[in-house]
Amino acid sequence: MKKFLFATLIPVIFFSCREADKKPAGTDTPAKAETPIKVLPPVSNYTNPDRSPMDMVYFPTDYPLLKMANKTSVPPLMRIIYSRPQKQGRPIFGGLVKYDTPWRLGANEATEIEFFSAATVAGKTVKAGRYILYCIPQETKWTFVLNSNLYSWGLEQNRLKDLVQFEVPVEKTNLAIEYFTIACEKNSQKSTALIFLWDDVKTKLPVSF
Amino acid sequence: MRKTSILVCFIISFSFSFSQSAKLPEVDKSPMDVSYYPNNYPILKIQNKATEPVVARILYSRPQKQGRKIFGELVEYGKVWRLGANEATELEFYKDVKIGGKKVPKGRYTLYAIVNEPVWTMILNTDTDIWGAFKYDSKKDVLRTDVVVQKTDEVVESMSMFFEKSTTGISLIIEWEQAKVILPITL
Repeated sequence: MKKFLFATLIPVIFFSCREADKKPAGTDTPAKAETPIKVLPPVSNYTNPDRSPMDMVYFPTDYPLLKMANKTSVPPLMRIIYSRPQKQGRPIFGGLVKYDTPWRLGANEATEIEFFSAATVAGKTVKAGRYILYCIPQETKWTFVLNSNLYSWGLEQNRLKDLVQFEVPVEKTNLAIEYFTIACEKNSQKSTALIFLWDDVKTKLPVSF
Repeated sequence: MRKTSILVCFIISFSFSFSQSAKLPEVDKSPMDVSYYPNNYPILKIQNKATEPVVARILYSRPQKQGRKIFGELVEYGKVWRLGANEATELEFYKDVKIGGKKVPKGRYTLYAIVNEPVWTMILNTDTDIWGAFKYDSKKDVLRTDVVVQKTDEVVESMSMFFEKSTTGISLIIEWEQAKVILPITL
C-alpha cells in the first residue's frame, strides 16, 4: 500500500487521516541534531507513537507484500529501517541538517541497513550483514558511511567503527519533499539505486547483488 | 483508512506533476516502532550507560483504537493476528533464550497471537519478512505458548509492546485497548 503515494502529497493525507500532530512528543526526540539527549523513563503503558515515525524499506521493493502474494520465492536482498522526520516549513540541508556534520539519515535511532547477501555499493564490495548508515551532507555531494556500531541512537557516531564510505553527487528535485524518504529505484532484479529524498534534495546510492 | 488515503491520493496525484516517476512510500497510518531490551538501549549505548548487552528487539506497527472495539471485533477471536499492522511483527533475540520451556536460538522470528478470552496463544514462527498473517504457516512454528489476558484500568489507544526485567529473565508486555498480556522470556 505504501507504494501508491507520493511523499509530496503526504501533508494532505497527514492532516486528513492522522492524529499524530495532536499527540505530545512522548517517546520521541526531535530530529534536530543539536537537541540534548533526553533519557526517557521506563516505557509507560501509554507510550505515544513517534513524531518521526519509523519505516522500513525492502529491496526488492515491498518484499513482504510480494512474499505474501507468492510473487517471490527468493529471500530479500536488503532492508533499511529508519525514522522519518518532516520538513514542517524549515530549511533542511544547510539549516536543520548541517553541512559537513554527520547526520543519522533520519531521526531517533541510527538508520540500519541490512544486506542479506554480499553487495556492491557505489562500486565497493560490502559483506552481507547489518550496519548502520549515516551521511555527511555537503551542498553538492554527500558522503555515506557504513558503520558497525549497531543499535545506537543516531545523534552520535562512533567514527572508530566506520567501515566504508561512498561519495555521491546531490541532485535537486522540483518540489520539496515533506517527509524524509528512502526508497529503491529499481533497475533490475539484482540492482537498484537506493534514493534519499528530503526537501529539494535527492541522492542516489547504487546497490547491486 | 488506507483505502481512503489511496483513493484521495490517486485523485490528487493526477493533478500534480512531479519530475520523477518514482512512487515514494507513504507514511504509514499505523507507524512502525521498535522496543529493545534493555529499554532505550540505543540511547544508553551512546551515553555509555548500558549495563548489559542488548538481548531482544521487537519491530512492529502500531494500530490505533480510534473508538473502535478491538478484541472480539477488529481483532477476531480465534484467528491468527499479526500483533500489529502492516508487516508481521518481528522479534529478534541476540542470544539464545527460552520461551514456554522451549529453547529459542538467537535470530529473527515473527510473532503472532491467537486472541481469545481469557487466553492468548502466542506463536513464534521462522517465516520472516512477510506482510501480515495472511500466509501464516503453522509448519514454520518454533513454539506456541498460552498467556492469560489481564485487564488494564485505562484504555490504551496505540497498541504498545515493550520489555521489562523479570525474575527469570525478561517479559514482553503487549497492551491495547484494555488487554495486557505478558510473554515470559527466560534468559
